[in-house]
Amino acid sequence: MKKFAGERLSSEEMKEVTHEEWAPAVKYAWSCGEAMSRFLNELKKGKLIGRKCHKCKRVIFPPKMFCEFCFRPTDEWVYLPDTGTVMTYSLSYLDKDARRIEEPILVGVIAIDGASEHMGIMHYFSEMDPDDLDFGLKVKAVWKPEKEREGSVTDIKYFKPLEGEK
Amino acid sequence: MTFVDRIERPEDFRHWLGDMEAEYVYTSGIAGDPFLKELKKGKILGTKCDNCGKVYVPSRMYCEECFVEITRWVEVPNDGIVDTYTVVHVDRDENLLEKPEVWAFIRMEGTDGGFVHKLNVLPEDVNIGMPVKAVFKSKKDREGRITDILYFEKP
Repeated sequence: MKKFAGERLSSEEMKEVTHEEWAPAVKYAWSCGEAMSRFLNELKKGKLIGRKCHKCKRVIFPPKMFCEFCFRPTDEWVYLPDTGTVMTYSLSYLDKDARRIEEPILVGVIAIDGASEHMGIMHYFSEMDPDDLDFGLKVKAVWKPEKEREGSVTDIKYFKPLEGEK
Repeated sequence: MTFVDRIERPEDFRHWLGDMEAEYVYTSGIAGDPFLKELKKGKILGTKCDNCGKVYVPSRMYCEECFVEITRWVEVPNDGIVDTYTVVHVDRDENLLEKPEVWAFIRMEGTDGGFVHKLNVLPEDVNIGMPVKAVFKSKKDREGRITDILYFEKP
């Protein structure tokens, strides 16, 4: 037994003390709703889709069934190209499990062409030098092969600089 | 136009399945550990405050009256009295039980503590203040848990 309360026990010491181990079954299902479901299903086909509000003329991407500016349902589905502009980015030297890594992961928010201002999706960047990543860089989506797509935002592998860009 | 109007193909609706990994390990602690280990030997252990003489069952490390550390261990008799009880008709998953069970808070004899446990008496026979005695599992089935006491019954 440890001298002080709150000291971490080693796995050897753990065998000697009475304890309970428990893994609660905390399963959940998160419904994507109408707009997000369509968005994901279109991703599987290799397309990006948004919703247009006829009142404020905005193209909402990712799509929403309700315009939060006009307080009314949105009106129309619109397909968007898979190109866009880097709005903001980050070079991450930590991976998803917060482990330190040598080569940075490039992530950022991409404003998709044709969508209204202040909208975009967060994604990875690749096929570029980290030094070249900058605000305003034009990028294009690189998709997974069609048979590997599963209707997830990861059906886009990453965004790469558009042809002709540096 | 309402949103509901548009839903024509419910199979197009997507959902995400997740599983929150919230495993934990709970150690019974400096006071709880000997209590459970002694249960395995068929003994009920308490701690006695040197300052006020209060006997805690299950064992406690500190006296909540005097705010002093307790180091004196005492073995307590395995009989007590029914302090309060309830007749249970459903199990933990709310399935109807074949026979109703009686669960009681048992105040252990000669101590200031006690615990909740099952009574092996008929619901019509139980009353507050009745003396009961702990019945342990057979020695080989004990595993250092409160369930090493099978139930309490009339002596």
